[in-house]
Amino acid sequence: MAGPLSRTATQPATGPAGGEDLRPARPVLSGVLRLGGLLARRALLLAVLLATVFAAVELLPGDAANATSERGESAADLAQRRELLGLDRPVLTRFTDWMTGLPTGDLGTTARGESVADLLSRPFPNTLLLGGLALLATLVLSLALGCWAALKPGGRADRAVSATATGVLALPEFVVAVALVLVFALWTDWLPAVTLTDADGSPASWQMLVLPVLALAIPQIGWNTRIVRAALADEAKAPHVETALIDGLPRRRILVHHLLPGATPTIAAGVATSTGMLLGGAVVVETIFNYPGIGSVLAGAVTDRDSPVVAGVVAITGAVITGVFLLADLVRAWASGGRI
Amino acid sequence: MDINRRQVLWAGGAIGASALLAACSGGGDTSDKAAGAGAKPKKGGTLRVGALGRASAVTRDPHGTQANESDYLVISLVHDTLTTPGAKTNTAPRLASGWQASDDLKTWRFTIAKGAKFHDGTPVTAEDVVWSLRRLRGTPSGASRLPGIKAENIKAEGTGTVVLVSDYANAELPLLTRLTTFVLKKDTSEKELGKAPGTGPFKLEWFRSGNARLVRNEDWHGGEVLLDAIEVKIFESPQAMSNALLAGQIDVASNVGAVAARTAEKRGDIQIVRRPNDMAMPIVMRTASGPFANPKVREALRLAVDREAMVKQVLSGYGTVGNDILGTGDPAYAKDVPQRARDLAKAKSLLKEAGFDTSKTYKLVTTEDISGLAESATLFATQVREAGVKIEVVKQESATFWDKTWLKGDLYTTYWGTNDSVVFFASKTMVSESGQNETGWKNTAFDAAYRKTIGTKDAAARAKVLRELQQIQHDTSGYLLWGVADGIDLAAAPVRGLPTLPGYGRVQLERAWLAR
Repeated sequence: MAGPLSRTATQPATGPAGGEDLRPARPVLSGVLRLGGLLARRALLLAVLLATVFAAVELLPGDAANATSERGESAADLAQRRELLGLDRPVLTRFTDWMTGLPTGDLGTTARGESVADLLSRPFPNTLLLGGLALLATLVLSLALGCWAALKPGGRADRAVSATATGVLALPEFVVAVALVLVFALWTDWLPAVTLTDADGSPASWQMLVLPVLALAIPQIGWNTRIVRAALADEAKAPHVETALIDGLPRRRILVHHLLPGATPTIAAGVATSTGMLLGGAVVVETIFNYPGIGSVLAGAVTDRDSPVVAGVVAITGAVITGVFLLADLVRAWASGGRI
Repeated sequence: MDINRRQVLWAGGAIGASALLAACSGGGDTSDKAAGAGAKPKKGGTLRVGALGRASAVTRDPHGTQANESDYLVISLVHDTLTTPGAKTNTAPRLASGWQASDDLKTWRFTIAKGAKFHDGTPVTAEDVVWSLRRLRGTPSGASRLPGIKAENIKAEGTGTVVLVSDYANAELPLLTRLTTFVLKKDTSEKELGKAPGTGPFKLEWFRSGNARLVRNEDWHGGEVLLDAIEVKIFESPQAMSNALLAGQIDVASNVGAVAARTAEKRGDIQIVRRPNDMAMPIVMRTASGPFANPKVREALRLAVDREAMVKQVLSGYGTVGNDILGTGDPAYAKDVPQRARDLAKAKSLLKEAGFDTSKTYKLVTTEDISGLAESATLFATQVREAGVKIEVVKQESATFWDKTWLKGDLYTTYWGTNDSVVFFASKTMVSESGQNETGWKNTAFDAAYRKTIGTKDAAARAKVLRELQQIQHDTSGYLLWGVADGIDLAAAPVRGLPTLPGYGRVQLERAWLAR
């Protein structure tokens, strides 16, 4: 749950895809090359991140053998456990071993002897579902609210939306979550308080998704509504919009045809940044709603010093975030390229 | 029927329909609870049980380290242990219907219960039990789970008897077979562990990410099982589990804790099940060296603590006052040892006699491993200040604590979940050579009493020496046991027959039934 500061900090990092100057000559090939380069850079970044994860878990006091032992095991028992888990090998060897398995989808074994890929096979789709729905809700609602506010700049709707958005984006997910449970589950009994799973490991009913999605999305809606509103305001200063205004075109038409296309790159970047925040917030929200996702797996794995599990979670969430950023880059390239 | 309003609103599936039926039948309120208490047990129904656990720590191996209460619950409903915690005697029969010791108390013969069968219909043989116990002995935790019993000293005698030979006389050996001696079929492969048929009261229907559904074993050797099925739901936090119970999504919240009980007190339709002597949170004072090595200093601290206030504030009243003897739930616990009470004047004079440096500030190391532990340290520090002892509470992260402080520190908090045996603590934490001698205690009189206890066959003679052992512990050990927390389960109104035993006794759900 990083504050708004980190959001502004990460935004330039996803910065303009650049290179519009490459335009006419063999656009397809250069596009593919650029995409490939981008992918390679992101993959390298992910590998560095994974190495950091292994190193960080190593630096924490205690190890997985300790964490999974019972009280009363002697030093010899612990040594046996350490050997069983392969912890007697240097961290670099363990990391390399783990990395070589990665391309084949082998994420290693947990400190309790279960396969990491199996362990994550149900929670990960569940978290994707939760995060995806929250992202969708964020996109739709923040666009709608932002546009509504932008229709009459300085009007009553604009002021109300902007003030609420600012208030909401400052709320941590767990505050939102606890309030939602209290009001919608325990007091009014309209929605389930926690998520329970059925035999295939997914949420037993759709109602169980409503509160977790809201808890995750509400702060992000606040943040993105501000971005949408600000991007539209910036775009409104552009000469072609002023011309359209002078021409007397209807406000709605100006919004859809003149303002939104120009604001799209900024909005895409904002929403993409929210992906990371949504997955980060999932750790907290999943615990409160007992949602069977990857967040609770991660929290437990850190406690257990279970490097393969922590790295496995980082690898697949990293891949998803990279994917979304890539998509956002493409959208921006398309949106800005289309205008030229 | 507030609980079911939502389910009625959303009524779609069978759950909604049955909730509707329950609502229409007009039962399920507090009046029902009173009426049903003495009623004849009813067959049928599915009990939804919430239990604590972390998705990352899921274990399917019955002989592995089960950090998750949810995993242990599932395993112990599917598989039987040789013996089990009991109420009148702390060891009760389970898969073993009885046991007999040789005169030297080294050789123990366990008889397998008549009619015991695996879920696939094959009878349980001594070979299966021997294979399972040897497998358990071969795990890294094996030496501490079956202390004194080598793998080669676990043998079959015919098809119905298993012989365990201990390296030393041990009158309490059956106690060791209570918690983890789950029996599987001989030569069950590692891959099949999660699905392997057990002999327990329930059969596993499915298991997924810590959640499971179990159905009744019609042929259980232990008697008739009433519930059709048990659904186990894994919860990472007691808070979420309590919410689920309050919202009617589960029927039992197992080991949910005092905080949840306080919330539920206001609700007439929720039962609070108290299981006394569940969790001891003693303060450990190092006896071997350091500022607390002088018995007078330890006595002073024991006199400085306000036990009633600790139980009231730290445990919200859900607990009992301790008397510095561990194993409070043991039927042989020495209730006649006079209760130590607060005496600040005496504490101060003892500190003076011992020449204790009251100008210094001493560190009390604690963790947040279990609820109330850190709070107990803080309150203790405040209380002993009145006797002139300055204590600063230091909270350590769990892994750091177990690595750096446990067994080594001068003053720290610890906690133990097996409180129904005095001998358990004596053997694990107090006899000189014990592996987990938390206080670094070496007391020849205590050691002698311990050896006599586990080496005496005659029950009356043993009871006498066990009393002596507890007196020594009360007088001079390094433990300050201010109180013992109750285990607390919450249950919906129609649930009956829940276990009231402490610790792992909470998993004995085979007699539970639903009055609806």
